[in-house]
Amino acid sequence: MATAKVPGVRIAGIASAVPATRVPVTAAAEIFGADMVQKISQSTGIEYRHLTSPGLCSSDLCFVAAKRLLADLGWEPESVEALIFVTQTPDFPSIPATACTLQMRLGLSTSCAAFDVALGCSGYVYGLWLAMSLVAGSGLSRVLVLAGDVASVLSSPLDRAVSLLFGDAGSATAIETDHTASPCLFSMGTDGSGWKNLLIPSGMQYARNPRDATTCIRQKADDNNQRSAEDLFMDGAEVFAFTIREVPPLVDRVLNAAGWELDEVDAFVFHQANKFMLNHMAKTMKIPPNKVPLSLKEYGNTSSASVPLTISTQLREEISSKSLRLLLVGFGVGYSWGACAIQCGPLVAPPVILVDQSEAWQC
Amino acid sequence: MNDQEFIANMEELLESDPGSISLATQLDSLQQWDSLAFVSFLAMAHSKYGVRVTPTELRQCKNFADLVTLVEKR
Repeated sequence: MATAKVPGVRIAGIASAVPATRVPVTAAAEIFGADMVQKISQSTGIEYRHLTSPGLCSSDLCFVAAKRLLADLGWEPESVEALIFVTQTPDFPSIPATACTLQMRLGLSTSCAAFDVALGCSGYVYGLWLAMSLVAGSGLSRVLVLAGDVASVLSSPLDRAVSLLFGDAGSATAIETDHTASPCLFSMGTDGSGWKNLLIPSGMQYARNPRDATTCIRQKADDNNQRSAEDLFMDGAEVFAFTIREVPPLVDRVLNAAGWELDEVDAFVFHQANKFMLNHMAKTMKIPPNKVPLSLKEYGNTSSASVPLTISTQLREEISSKSLRLLLVGFGVGYSWGACAIQCGPLVAPPVILVDQSEAWQC
Repeated sequence: MNDQEFIANMEELLESDPGSISLATQLDSLQQWDSLAFVSFLAMAHSKYGVRVTPTELRQCKNFADLVTLVEKR
């Protein structure tokens, strides 16, 4: 698509929340051996992850983040006119939309529009684009984007391609009208031919490959990893090749649309895929490493929450006190991608919140 | 491109002893040629040689001479 220009809207605040349980990747040494775990960790840049426990959902992490953000902003829940929940790990397999339960839990008005967006790595940028477009185009004044995933649960613990990669996190971003705001520039894209390279093949009765008694059985695959048809599969080489093909031109497009030079950007907040990939992109695009904040080391790849979590953990002090020129870039599962050039801050940015199992929704 | 320099780069990438790899060395014969090395090669082809190799092309390579052919394609 052509780049989209969204005027008159700002981000008022960003909050992020992670499960309190913090696990070092070295815990997997008994499965893969200490040397292999170290080798993987050096490549991915991931040393710890915050992992959920059964019953603590993406929505719970986002709920805690949203509660805190509304309180810190002093926004009455009734003033929120739309809620967008971005996730690939909803509370219920498909019915109802988790956004509806979040409307109730947060005490938002029944005149609030609420819907889910089922995207992962690119999802935050899509959610932001939708929310800002609703404000700019439909005249809404306040919208919440909640983006979160508990992707750690999706992979087989015996699949070294993915089992040490994903951490769990939720986020809340508050969007509101601001006629003095600089326009945000968005560029999005899709290449569905990559659908099979990040995939959970089965799991539901209604699905393309209906669940049966065999779909949950883990077996040794061609790549020597053990997984079932209900576990997440990733072809890391294909995803890497896709990323270095699509992301640099994407970044160029939004930079050009915004009229910014590369060195005028304060931070490039990339989806936290893995350190190897982000380092490679920064190097080939000639972006100084200190302009690419990373939350991977402590939190892993947190799917749809990775961009806001990186802002909450790596840019919090700066963005709380001044305005920054940010490039937000999401890319991955789908394939799907999106980038946003945004002048952003000062905004409300509480420290990352640790969430206990006891904060799971008792429905 | 200089073959010797390429082999030296590959030895570094695979953390192999200098002189342990030749153009005829079979990729499958090396324990270090694993999924991480596979992706590292894609990255090196891109950053050092300016070539975007596809995983499908790379999977068809049998030895280091085939890798040279790949990065020389442009």
